[in-house]
Amino acid sequence: MQDEIDFDQILSQYRSDPFEYIEVRTSHTGRLQFKAKEEDAVDGVTGEWQHIKGTLLFHLERERNVKPVHSTVIGVVSSVEHSLDGQFVEAGEKVMTIRHPLKKREIIDRILKNVLTLFPAPERAKYFFALDIQSRIDKHGQRSISIKPGDEILTMSLMKRDTPVTYQGEPGIIHSVYFSPGETMDQGQPLIGICSEDKLPLIQKIIARVKAEWE
Amino acid sequence: MAESISERLLISTEYQQALYSEPLLRPTVSPEIAAVILRYGAMVGAEIEHLSQAPRCMDLARSRILACEEENRSFASGRVIIADQLTNGKGRFLRHWHAPVGGLWMVLTLVNTLLPEHAALYSLAAGIACCETLRHYRLNATIKWVNDVLLNGRKVAGILTETMRGPKGGEEYILIGIGVNVNNASFAPELRNTAASMTEFAGRTFPLAEVTARLLAKLAWNIGLLHHVEAEQLAAGSGQSDDTPHPLIASWRSLSDTIGRRVRFGFNVAEAPQFSAKAIDIDNRGQLLMRLDDGQTVCENSGEIVYL
Repeated sequence: MQDEIDFDQILSQYRSDPFEYIEVRTSHTGRLQFKAKEEDAVDGVTGEWQHIKGTLLFHLERERNVKPVHSTVIGVVSSVEHSLDGQFVEAGEKVMTIRHPLKKREIIDRILKNVLTLFPAPERAKYFFALDIQSRIDKHGQRSISIKPGDEILTMSLMKRDTPVTYQGEPGIIHSVYFSPGETMDQGQPLIGICSEDKLPLIQKIIARVKAEWE
Repeated sequence: MAESISERLLISTEYQQALYSEPLLRPTVSPEIAAVILRYGAMVGAEIEHLSQAPRCMDLARSRILACEEENRSFASGRVIIADQLTNGKGRFLRHWHAPVGGLWMVLTLVNTLLPEHAALYSLAAGIACCETLRHYRLNATIKWVNDVLLNGRKVAGILTETMRGPKGGEEYILIGIGVNVNNASFAPELRNTAASMTEFAGRTFPLAEVTARLLAKLAWNIGLLHHVEAEQLAAGSGQSDDTPHPLIASWRSLSDTIGRRVRFGFNVAEAPQFSAKAIDIDNRGQLLMRLDDGQTVCENSGEIVYL
Protein backbone atom coordinates (compact mmCIF):
# COMPACT_ATOMS: atom_id res chain seq x y z
CA MET A 1 0.00 0.00 0.00
CA GLN A 2 1.27 3.45 -0.87
CA ASP A 3 2.15 5.70 2.09
CA GLU A 4 2.44 8.92 0.17
CA ILE A 5 -0.37 10.04 -2.10
CA ASP A 6 0.11 12.91 -4.48
CA PHE A 7 -3.49 14.14 -4.33
CA ASP A 8 -2.94 17.02 -6.72
CA GLN A 9 -1.52 14.78 -9.37
CA ILE A 10 -4.25 12.16 -9.01
CA LEU A 11 -7.06 14.71 -8.98
CA SER A 12 -5.72 16.66 -11.94
CA GLN A 13 -5.42 13.39 -13.82
CA TYR A 14 -9.09 12.62 -13.20
CA ARG A 15 -10.08 16.24 -13.95
CA SER A 16 -8.37 16.26 -17.32
CA ASP A 17 -9.72 12.86 -18.30
CA PRO A 18 -12.69 11.82 -16.11
CA PHE A 19 -13.21 8.57 -17.97
CA GLU A 20 -12.34 4.96 -17.69
CA TYR A 21 -11.41 3.23 -20.95
CA ILE A 22 -12.81 -0.27 -20.92
CA GLU A 23 -11.35 -2.75 -23.35
CA VAL A 24 -13.89 -5.25 -24.65
CA ARG A 25 -12.35 -8.62 -25.44
CA THR A 26 -13.68 -11.85 -26.91
CA SER A 27 -14.51 -14.57 -24.40
CA HIS A 28 -13.80 -17.36 -26.86
CA THR A 29 -12.82 -17.98 -30.45
CA GLY A 30 -15.37 -17.36 -33.19
CA ARG A 31 -16.44 -15.27 -36.15
CA LEU A 32 -16.99 -11.66 -35.16
CA GLN A 33 -19.68 -9.32 -36.43
CA PHE A 34 -19.88 -5.82 -34.98
CA LYS A 35 -23.27 -4.39 -34.03
CA ALA A 36 -22.03 -1.06 -32.63
CA LYS A 37 -19.79 1.59 -34.15
CA GLU A 38 -17.56 4.47 -32.97
CA GLU A 39 -19.33 7.26 -31.06
CA ASP A 40 -22.38 5.05 -30.39
CA ALA A 41 -23.74 5.65 -26.90
CA VAL A 42 -24.10 2.36 -25.06
CA ASP A 43 -25.99 1.34 -21.94
CA GLY A 44 -24.79 -1.03 -19.27
CA VAL A 45 -26.66 -3.69 -17.36
CA THR A 46 -29.78 -2.36 -15.64
CA GLY A 47 -32.94 -3.56 -13.93
CA GLU A 48 -33.83 -4.40 -10.36
CA TRP A 49 -32.05 -7.74 -10.59
CA GLN A 50 -29.38 -6.45 -12.98
CA HIS A 51 -31.20 -8.58 -15.53
CA ILE A 52 -31.65 -6.12 -18.43
CA LYS A 53 -28.72 -6.52 -20.78
CA GLY A 54 -26.75 -3.55 -22.03
CA THR A 55 -26.46 -2.43 -25.66
CA LEU A 56 -25.56 -5.16 -28.15
CA LEU A 57 -21.90 -4.72 -29.15
CA PHE A 58 -21.16 -7.68 -31.41
CA HIS A 59 -22.00 -11.26 -32.28
CA LEU A 60 -19.47 -14.01 -31.83
CA GLU A 61 -20.33 -17.16 -33.75
CA ARG A 62 -18.76 -20.53 -33.06
CA GLU A 63 -20.04 -23.75 -34.59
CA ARG A 64 -23.32 -22.05 -35.63
CA ASN A 65 -23.86 -20.93 -32.07
CA VAL A 66 -24.24 -17.14 -32.18
CA LYS A 67 -23.41 -15.45 -28.90
CA PRO A 68 -24.57 -11.83 -28.55
CA VAL A 69 -22.15 -9.74 -26.47
CA HIS A 70 -23.60 -6.74 -24.66
CA SER A 71 -22.06 -3.73 -23.00
CA THR A 72 -21.70 -4.05 -19.24
CA VAL A 73 -21.17 -0.31 -18.70
CA ILE A 74 -22.69 2.97 -19.80
CA GLY A 75 -20.54 5.09 -22.09
CA VAL A 76 -19.54 5.76 -25.68
CA VAL A 77 -17.75 3.44 -28.09
CA SER A 78 -14.39 5.13 -28.55
CA SER A 79 -12.70 2.66 -30.87
CA VAL A 80 -13.55 -0.41 -32.91
CA GLU A 81 -11.09 -2.86 -34.48
CA HIS A 82 -12.77 -2.76 -37.90
CA SER A 83 -10.21 -5.07 -39.45
CA LEU A 84 -11.69 -7.91 -37.36
CA ASP A 85 -15.25 -7.49 -38.64
CA GLY A 86 -16.40 -10.75 -40.24
CA GLN A 87 -13.12 -12.42 -39.27
CA PHE A 88 -12.39 -15.43 -37.09
CA VAL A 89 -10.84 -14.15 -33.85
CA GLU A 90 -8.99 -15.76 -30.98
CA ALA A 91 -10.20 -15.79 -27.38
CA GLY A 92 -9.14 -12.68 -25.44
CA GLU A 93 -8.78 -10.48 -28.55
CA LYS A 94 -9.40 -6.78 -27.93
CA VAL A 95 -12.19 -5.79 -30.30
CA MET A 96 -13.39 -2.38 -29.07
CA THR A 97 -13.00 0.22 -26.33
CA ILE A 98 -15.78 1.94 -24.39
CA ARG A 99 -15.23 5.35 -22.78
CA HIS A 100 -17.08 5.29 -19.47
CA PRO A 101 -17.68 8.62 -17.66
CA LEU A 102 -16.69 8.39 -14.00
CA LYS A 103 -18.89 9.67 -11.16
CA LYS A 104 -17.47 11.04 -7.91
CA ARG A 105 -18.21 7.77 -6.10
CA GLU A 106 -16.39 5.81 -8.80
CA ILE A 107 -13.37 8.10 -8.62
CA ILE A 108 -13.14 7.59 -4.86
CA ASP A 109 -13.47 3.85 -5.40
CA ARG A 110 -10.74 3.82 -8.03
CA ILE A 111 -8.33 5.80 -5.90
CA LEU A 112 -9.08 3.60 -2.92
CA LYS A 113 -8.57 0.47 -5.00
CA ASN A 114 -5.01 1.69 -5.55
CA VAL A 115 -4.31 2.06 -1.87
CA LEU A 116 -6.36 -0.77 -0.32
CA THR A 117 -5.38 -4.42 -0.37
CA LEU A 118 -8.03 -5.94 -2.60
CA PHE A 119 -9.27 -9.47 -2.06
CA PRO A 120 -10.56 -10.88 -5.37
CA ALA A 121 -13.32 -13.42 -6.00
CA PRO A 122 -11.71 -16.82 -6.53
CA GLU A 123 -14.56 -17.99 -8.80
CA ARG A 124 -17.68 -16.61 -10.47
CA ALA A 125 -20.17 -17.17 -7.65
CA LYS A 126 -22.24 -15.53 -4.93
CA TYR A 127 -20.50 -14.53 -1.71
CA PHE A 128 -21.53 -13.77 1.82
CA PHE A 129 -19.61 -13.10 5.00
CA ALA A 130 -18.82 -16.01 7.30
CA LEU A 131 -21.44 -16.20 10.05
CA ASP A 132 -19.19 -14.92 12.87
CA ILE A 133 -17.84 -12.08 10.71
CA GLN A 134 -21.38 -11.09 9.71
CA SER A 135 -22.57 -11.05 13.32
CA ARG A 136 -19.57 -8.86 14.26
CA ILE A 137 -20.33 -6.53 11.35
CA ASP A 138 -23.99 -6.34 12.42
CA LYS A 139 -22.93 -5.48 15.95
CA HIS A 140 -19.96 -3.18 15.44
CA GLY A 141 -19.82 -2.19 11.74
CA GLN A 142 -17.43 -3.48 9.09
CA ARG A 143 -14.64 -1.01 9.85
CA SER A 144 -14.20 -2.43 13.31
CA ILE A 145 -13.51 -5.92 11.97
CA SER A 146 -9.85 -6.87 11.91
CA ILE A 147 -8.81 -9.78 9.75
CA LYS A 148 -5.53 -11.57 9.20
CA PRO A 149 -4.22 -14.20 6.78
CA GLY A 150 -5.80 -17.59 7.40
CA ASP A 151 -9.09 -16.20 8.72
CA GLU A 152 -12.24 -17.68 7.19
CA ILE A 153 -13.97 -14.49 6.15
CA LEU A 154 -16.39 -15.39 3.38
CA THR A 155 -18.46 -18.25 2.07
CA MET A 156 -18.62 -18.78 -1.64
CA SER A 157 -21.86 -20.30 -2.86
CA LEU A 158 -21.97 -21.90 -6.29
CA MET A 159 -24.56 -24.42 -7.41
CA LYS A 160 -25.70 -24.94 -3.81
CA ARG A 161 -22.15 -25.79 -2.73
CA ASP A 162 -20.75 -23.65 0.03
CA THR A 163 -17.01 -23.15 0.17
CA PRO A 164 -15.28 -21.24 2.96
CA VAL A 165 -12.95 -18.56 1.62
CA THR A 166 -9.80 -17.91 3.60
CA TYR A 167 -8.23 -14.48 3.64
CA GLN A 168 -4.73 -14.13 2.24
CA GLY A 169 -3.17 -10.69 2.34
CA GLU A 170 -2.10 -7.95 4.69
CA PRO A 171 -3.74 -7.93 8.10
CA GLY A 172 -6.09 -5.02 8.55
CA ILE A 173 -9.67 -3.89 8.79
CA ILE A 174 -12.43 -4.37 6.24
CA HIS A 175 -12.71 -0.89 4.75
CA SER A 176 -14.74 -1.45 1.59
CA VAL A 177 -17.18 -4.16 0.57
CA TYR A 178 -17.70 -4.55 -3.16
CA PHE A 179 -20.36 -7.26 -3.17
CA SER A 180 -23.86 -7.62 -1.85
CA PRO A 181 -25.45 -10.91 -0.74
CA GLY A 182 -27.14 -12.64 -3.64
CA GLU A 183 -25.08 -10.80 -6.26
CA THR A 184 -23.00 -12.90 -8.64
CA MET A 185 -19.40 -11.73 -8.70
CA ASP A 186 -17.09 -12.59 -11.60
CA GLN A 187 -13.79 -14.31 -10.95
CA GLY A 188 -11.13 -11.72 -10.11
CA GLN A 189 -13.57 -8.95 -9.15
CA PRO A 190 -12.62 -7.43 -5.79
CA LEU A 191 -14.84 -8.58 -2.93
CA ILE A 192 -13.41 -6.49 -0.12
CA GLY A 193 -10.75 -3.83 0.34
CA ILE A 194 -8.53 -4.09 3.42
CA CYS A 195 -6.36 -1.46 5.05
CA SER A 196 -4.12 -1.66 8.10
CA GLU A 197 -5.45 0.32 11.03
CA ASP A 198 -2.57 2.81 10.97
CA LYS A 199 -3.39 3.65 7.33
CA LEU A 200 -7.04 4.42 8.06
CA PRO A 201 -6.49 8.18 8.52
CA LEU A 202 -4.84 8.30 5.09
CA ILE A 203 -7.84 6.59 3.51
CA GLN A 204 -10.23 8.99 5.23
CA LYS A 205 -8.14 11.90 4.00
CA ILE A 206 -8.46 10.65 0.41
CA ILE A 207 -12.23 10.39 0.66
CA ALA A 208 -12.58 13.82 2.27
CA ARG A 209 -10.30 15.42 -0.31
CA VAL A 210 -12.11 13.97 -3.32
CA LYS A 211 -15.51 14.82 -1.85
CA ALA A 212 -14.44 18.39 -1.15
CA GLU A 213 -12.68 19.09 -4.43
CA TRP A 214 -14.61 17.11 -6.98
CA GLU A 215 -17.69 18.70 -8.43
CA MET B 1 -21.47 -43.76 18.07
CA ALA B 2 -20.96 -47.51 17.82
CA GLU B 3 -19.96 -48.82 14.43
CA SER B 4 -22.16 -51.53 13.00
CA ILE B 5 -19.77 -53.82 11.14
CA SER B 6 -22.42 -56.28 9.96
CA GLU B 7 -24.45 -53.46 8.42
CA ARG B 8 -21.33 -52.05 6.75
CA LEU B 9 -20.50 -55.46 5.25
CA LEU B 10 -24.05 -55.84 4.01
CA ILE B 11 -23.94 -52.44 2.33
CA SER B 12 -20.54 -53.22 0.77
CA THR B 13 -21.81 -56.50 -0.66
CA GLU B 14 -24.99 -54.92 -2.01
CA TYR B 15 -22.90 -52.05 -3.43
CA GLN B 16 -20.73 -54.39 -5.48
CA GLN B 17 -23.85 -55.96 -6.98
CA ALA B 18 -25.41 -52.56 -7.68
CA LEU B 19 -22.22 -51.37 -9.36
CA TYR B 20 -22.15 -54.47 -11.53
CA SER B 21 -25.71 -53.88 -12.72
CA GLU B 22 -25.32 -50.12 -13.27
CA PRO B 23 -24.09 -50.29 -16.90
CA LEU B 24 -26.93 -52.70 -17.74
CA LEU B 25 -29.40 -49.97 -16.76
CA ARG B 26 -27.85 -47.60 -19.30
CA PRO B 27 -28.15 -49.36 -22.66
CA THR B 28 -27.30 -46.21 -24.64
CA VAL B 29 -23.77 -46.21 -23.24
CA SER B 30 -21.33 -48.71 -24.76
CA PRO B 31 -19.85 -51.28 -22.35
CA GLU B 32 -16.36 -49.86 -22.96
CA ILE B 33 -17.39 -46.29 -22.06
CA ALA B 34 -19.45 -47.57 -19.11
CA ALA B 35 -16.37 -49.33 -17.77
CA VAL B 36 -14.36 -46.10 -18.11
CA ILE B 37 -17.04 -44.10 -16.30
CA LEU B 38 -17.23 -46.60 -13.46
CA ARG B 39 -13.45 -46.63 -13.15
CA TYR B 40 -13.54 -42.86 -12.68
CA GLY B 41 -16.31 -43.25 -10.09
CA ALA B 42 -14.71 -46.21 -8.36
CA MET B 43 -13.50 -44.09 -5.44
CA VAL B 44 -17.08 -43.68 -4.21
CA GLY B 45 -17.39 -45.96 -1.21
CA ALA B 46 -13.63 -46.59 -1.07
CA GLU B 47 -14.20 -46.78 2.67
CA ILE B 48 -17.58 -47.13 4.32
CA GLU B 49 -18.20 -46.34 7.96
CA HIS B 50 -21.56 -47.19 9.44
CA LEU B 51 -22.72 -45.81 12.80
CA SER B 52 -25.86 -46.44 14.77
CA GLN B 53 -26.09 -42.76 15.66
CA ALA B 54 -24.18 -39.53 15.09
CA PRO B 55 -24.78 -35.85 15.75
CA ARG B 56 -24.08 -34.87 12.15
CA CYS B 57 -22.26 -36.82 9.40
CA MET B 58 -20.77 -33.64 7.87
CA ASP B 59 -19.03 -32.76 11.14
CA LEU B 60 -17.76 -36.30 11.49
CA ALA B 61 -16.30 -36.21 7.98
CA ARG B 62 -14.50 -32.97 8.82
CA SER B 63 -13.03 -34.46 11.97
CA ARG B 64 -11.93 -37.59 10.07
CA ILE B 65 -10.15 -35.39 7.50
CA LEU B 66 -8.44 -33.35 10.21
CA ALA B 67 -7.36 -36.51 12.05
CA CYS B 68 -5.89 -37.94 8.84
CA GLU B 69 -3.98 -34.76 8.09
CA GLU B 70 -2.75 -34.53 11.68
CA GLU B 71 -1.25 -38.00 11.30
CA ASN B 72 0.18 -37.11 7.88
CA ARG B 73 -1.97 -39.74 6.25
CA SER B 74 -3.84 -39.40 2.98
CA PHE B 75 -7.60 -39.24 3.29
CA ALA B 76 -9.37 -41.86 1.19
CA SER B 77 -11.31 -39.99 -1.47
CA GLY B 78 -14.80 -41.44 -1.68
CA ARG B 79 -15.07 -42.28 1.99
CA VAL B 80 -18.69 -42.63 3.09
CA ILE B 81 -20.04 -42.19 6.60
CA ILE B 82 -23.56 -43.48 7.22
CA ALA B 83 -25.57 -43.12 10.42
CA ASP B 84 -28.86 -44.78 11.33
CA GLN B 85 -30.00 -41.53 12.90
CA LEU B 86 -28.72 -38.02 13.42
CA THR B 87 -29.24 -36.12 16.63
CA ASN B 88 -28.26 -32.73 15.23
CA GLY B 89 -28.98 -32.86 11.49
CA LYS B 90 -28.76 -29.53 9.69
CA GLY B 91 -29.61 -28.34 6.22
CA ARG B 92 -28.70 -25.09 4.47
CA PHE B 93 -28.69 -21.93 6.56
CA LEU B 94 -28.50 -24.22 9.59
CA ARG B 95 -32.11 -25.31 9.09
CA HIS B 96 -32.99 -28.27 11.28
CA TRP B 97 -32.99 -31.63 9.46
CA HIS B 98 -35.13 -34.29 11.13
CA ALA B 99 -33.19 -37.54 10.71
CA PRO B 100 -34.71 -40.45 12.66
CA VAL B 101 -34.15 -44.19 12.31
CA GLY B 102 -35.49 -45.51 9.00
CA GLY B 103 -33.95 -42.83 6.79
CA LEU B 104 -30.69 -42.82 4.89
CA TRP B 105 -28.26 -40.26 6.33
CA MET B 106 -24.80 -40.15 4.89
CA VAL B 107 -21.92 -38.02 3.77
CA LEU B 108 -19.64 -38.75 0.82
CA THR B 109 -16.23 -37.09 0.98
CA LEU B 110 -14.26 -36.61 -2.20
CA VAL B 111 -10.87 -35.11 -2.84
CA ASN B 112 -11.61 -32.61 -5.56
CA THR B 113 -9.55 -33.17 -8.67
CA LEU B 114 -11.97 -31.58 -11.15
CA LEU B 115 -11.54 -28.25 -12.89
CA PRO B 116 -13.83 -25.55 -11.42
CA GLU B 117 -16.36 -25.62 -14.28
CA HIS B 118 -16.79 -29.37 -13.85
CA ALA B 119 -16.64 -29.32 -10.04
CA ALA B 120 -19.60 -26.92 -10.14
CA LEU B 121 -21.70 -29.89 -11.26
CA TYR B 122 -21.09 -32.07 -8.18
CA SER B 123 -24.36 -30.83 -6.67
CA LEU B 124 -26.33 -31.76 -9.78
CA ALA B 125 -24.64 -35.17 -9.95
CA ALA B 126 -25.69 -35.91 -6.37
CA GLY B 127 -29.28 -34.84 -7.07
CA ILE B 128 -29.44 -37.00 -10.19
CA ALA B 129 -28.07 -39.99 -8.26
CA CYS B 130 -30.75 -39.59 -5.56
CA CYS B 131 -33.54 -39.19 -8.09
CA GLU B 132 -32.37 -42.18 -10.14
CA THR B 133 -32.28 -44.26 -6.96
CA LEU B 134 -35.92 -43.47 -6.23
CA ARG B 135 -36.91 -44.14 -9.83
CA HIS B 136 -35.14 -47.50 -9.60
CA TYR B 137 -37.82 -48.37 -7.04
CA ARG B 138 -40.51 -47.16 -9.45
CA LEU B 139 -41.23 -44.00 -7.54
CA ASN B 140 -41.94 -41.03 -9.77
CA ALA B 141 -39.37 -38.74 -8.19
CA THR B 142 -38.39 -35.44 -9.78
CA ILE B 143 -35.60 -32.91 -9.21
CA LYS B 144 -36.24 -29.32 -8.27
CA TRP B 145 -33.29 -27.05 -9.13
CA VAL B 146 -30.61 -27.33 -7.82
CA ASN B 147 -30.93 -30.82 -6.39
CA ASP B 148 -33.94 -31.25 -4.14
CA VAL B 149 -35.67 -34.54 -4.85
CA LEU B 150 -39.46 -34.48 -4.69
CA LEU B 151 -42.28 -36.98 -4.68
CA ASN B 152 -45.51 -35.39 -5.79
CA GLY B 153 -44.17 -31.95 -4.89
CA ARG B 154 -42.98 -32.97 -1.41
CA LYS B 155 -39.30 -33.19 -0.51
CA VAL B 156 -38.07 -36.74 -0.08
CA ALA B 157 -34.32 -36.14 -0.30
CA GLY B 158 -32.07 -33.19 0.40
CA ILE B 159 -28.42 -32.61 -0.36
CA LEU B 160 -25.98 -30.26 1.28
CA THR B 161 -22.62 -29.79 -0.38
CA GLU B 162 -19.72 -28.05 1.29
CA THR B 163 -16.06 -27.60 0.52
CA MET B 164 -13.29 -27.88 3.04
CA ARG B 165 -9.65 -27.01 2.57
CA GLY B 166 -7.26 -29.35 4.39
CA PRO B 167 -5.26 -27.24 6.86
CA LYS B 168 -2.03 -29.12 6.31
CA GLY B 169 -1.96 -30.36 2.74
CA GLY B 170 -4.17 -27.66 1.27
CA GLU B 171 -6.22 -30.39 -0.41
CA GLU B 172 -9.78 -29.43 -1.37
CA TYR B 173 -12.41 -31.83 -0.08
CA ILE B 174 -16.00 -31.94 -1.31
CA LEU B 175 -18.44 -33.06 1.37
CA ILE B 176 -21.77 -34.19 -0.03
CA GLY B 177 -24.30 -34.71 2.73
CA ILE B 178 -27.36 -36.65 1.62
CA GLY B 179 -30.56 -37.32 3.50
CA VAL B 180 -33.29 -39.55 2.06
CA ASN B 181 -36.56 -40.24 3.82
CA VAL B 182 -36.81 -43.97 3.15
CA ASN B 183 -38.78 -45.83 5.81
CA ASN B 184 -39.28 -42.97 8.26
CA ALA B 185 -42.77 -41.59 7.91
CA SER B 186 -43.32 -39.25 10.82
CA PHE B 187 -42.43 -35.60 10.37
CA ALA B 188 -42.56 -32.53 12.54
CA PRO B 189 -45.95 -30.75 12.20
CA GLU B 190 -44.44 -27.88 10.20
CA LEU B 191 -43.02 -30.35 7.65
CA ARG B 192 -46.08 -32.55 7.16
CA ASN B 193 -47.21 -30.82 3.99
CA THR B 194 -43.77 -30.38 2.46
CA ALA B 195 -41.85 -33.56 3.38
CA ALA B 196 -42.42 -37.10 2.18
CA SER B 197 -40.84 -40.52 2.43
CA MET B 198 -40.45 -43.42 0.05
CA THR B 199 -42.47 -45.73 2.28
CA GLU B 200 -45.42 -43.33 2.36
CA PHE B 201 -45.67 -43.29 -1.40
CA ALA B 202 -44.94 -46.96 -2.04
CA GLY B 203 -47.03 -48.33 0.81
CA ARG B 204 -44.22 -50.67 1.83
CA THR B 205 -40.82 -50.54 3.49
CA PHE B 206 -37.51 -50.74 1.64
CA PRO B 207 -34.34 -52.69 2.52
CA LEU B 208 -32.20 -49.78 3.70
CA ALA B 209 -28.84 -51.41 2.97
CA GLU B 210 -29.93 -52.09 -0.60
CA VAL B 211 -31.22 -48.53 -1.09
CA THR B 212 -27.93 -47.22 0.29
CA ALA B 213 -25.93 -49.46 -2.03
CA ARG B 214 -28.05 -48.43 -5.00
CA LEU B 215 -27.50 -44.75 -4.19
CA LEU B 216 -23.74 -45.29 -3.91
CA ALA B 217 -23.72 -47.00 -7.31
CA LYS B 218 -25.65 -44.08 -8.83
CA LEU B 219 -23.21 -41.65 -7.22
CA ALA B 220 -20.27 -43.65 -8.59
CA TRP B 221 -21.81 -43.47 -12.05
CA ASN B 222 -22.70 -39.79 -12.09
CA ILE B 223 -19.49 -38.60 -10.47
CA GLY B 224 -17.55 -40.91 -12.76
CA LEU B 225 -19.40 -39.29 -15.65
CA LEU B 226 -18.23 -35.85 -14.51
CA HIS B 227 -14.61 -37.03 -14.63
CA HIS B 228 -15.12 -38.81 -17.94
CA VAL B 229 -16.60 -35.71 -19.62
CA GLU B 230 -13.80 -33.54 -18.25
CA ALA B 231 -11.21 -35.98 -19.62
CA GLU B 232 -12.96 -36.07 -23.00
CA GLN B 233 -13.12 -32.28 -23.22
CA LEU B 234 -9.49 -31.90 -22.21
CA ALA B 235 -8.48 -34.48 -24.78
CA ALA B 236 -10.41 -32.49 -27.39
CA GLY B 237 -8.45 -29.41 -26.38
CA SER B 238 -11.09 -27.63 -24.33
CA GLY B 239 -11.70 -27.60 -20.60
CA GLN B 240 -14.73 -25.41 -21.04
CA SER B 241 -18.23 -26.80 -20.85
CA ASP B 242 -20.05 -23.84 -22.38
CA ASP B 243 -20.95 -25.21 -25.78
CA THR B 244 -20.50 -28.96 -25.65
CA PRO B 245 -23.72 -30.64 -24.51
CA HIS B 246 -23.06 -32.28 -21.13
CA PRO B 247 -24.67 -35.70 -20.59
CA LEU B 248 -25.21 -34.88 -16.92
CA ILE B 249 -27.26 -31.83 -17.87
CA ALA B 250 -29.29 -33.99 -20.23
CA SER B 251 -29.95 -36.42 -17.35
CA TRP B 252 -30.95 -33.57 -15.08
CA ARG B 253 -33.42 -32.23 -17.65
CA SER B 254 -35.00 -35.65 -18.09
CA LEU B 255 -35.50 -36.04 -14.33
CA SER B 256 -36.50 -32.51 -13.39
CA ASP B 257 -39.94 -30.91 -13.31
CA THR B 258 -38.50 -27.39 -12.87
CA ILE B 259 -38.41 -26.28 -16.50
CA GLY B 260 -41.62 -24.56 -17.48
CA ARG B 261 -42.71 -23.98 -13.88
CA ARG B 262 -43.46 -20.63 -12.33
CA VAL B 263 -41.07 -20.21 -9.41
CA ARG B 264 -40.07 -17.83 -6.66
CA PHE B 265 -36.30 -17.34 -6.42
CA GLY B 266 -34.09 -16.23 -3.56
CA PHE B 267 -30.62 -16.93 -2.26
CA ASN B 268 -32.45 -17.94 0.91
CA VAL B 269 -35.94 -18.11 -0.53
CA ALA B 270 -37.70 -18.83 2.76
CA GLU B 271 -36.36 -15.72 4.47
CA ALA B 272 -35.57 -13.38 1.58
CA PRO B 273 -37.48 -14.14 -1.61
CA GLN B 274 -36.19 -11.99 -4.48
CA PHE B 275 -38.47 -12.41 -7.49
CA SER B 276 -40.99 -14.61 -9.28
CA ALA B 277 -40.36 -15.86 -12.79
CA LYS B 278 -40.83 -18.77 -15.18
CA ALA B 279 -38.01 -21.33 -15.23
CA ILE B 280 -37.09 -21.82 -18.88
CA ASP B 281 -33.94 -23.97 -18.91
CA ILE B 282 -30.61 -24.78 -17.32
CA ASP B 283 -27.40 -24.11 -19.18
CA ASN B 284 -24.36 -26.33 -19.53
CA ARG B 285 -23.00 -25.10 -16.21
CA GLY B 286 -26.21 -26.01 -14.39
CA GLN B 287 -27.27 -22.39 -14.03
CA LEU B 288 -31.02 -21.78 -13.98
CA LEU B 289 -32.43 -19.50 -16.66
CA MET B 290 -35.66 -17.74 -15.73
CA ARG B 291 -37.91 -15.35 -17.60
CA LEU B 292 -39.23 -12.42 -15.59
CA ASP B 293 -42.65 -10.88 -16.13
CA ASP B 294 -41.07 -8.05 -18.17
CA GLY B 295 -39.73 -10.59 -20.66
CA GLN B 296 -36.09 -10.30 -19.58
CA THR B 297 -34.06 -13.38 -18.74
CA VAL B 298 -32.04 -13.91 -15.57
CA CYS B 299 -29.42 -16.59 -15.03
CA GLU B 300 -28.68 -17.75 -11.48
CA ASN B 301 -25.80 -19.96 -10.38
CA SER B 302 -26.79 -20.32 -6.75
CA GLY B 303 -29.88 -19.97 -4.62
CA GLU B 304 -33.19 -21.72 -4.10
CA ILE B 305 -36.58 -21.84 -5.76
CA VAL B 306 -40.05 -22.76 -4.63
CA TYR B 307 -42.76 -23.73 -7.09
CA LEU B 308 -45.73 -21.39 -7.29
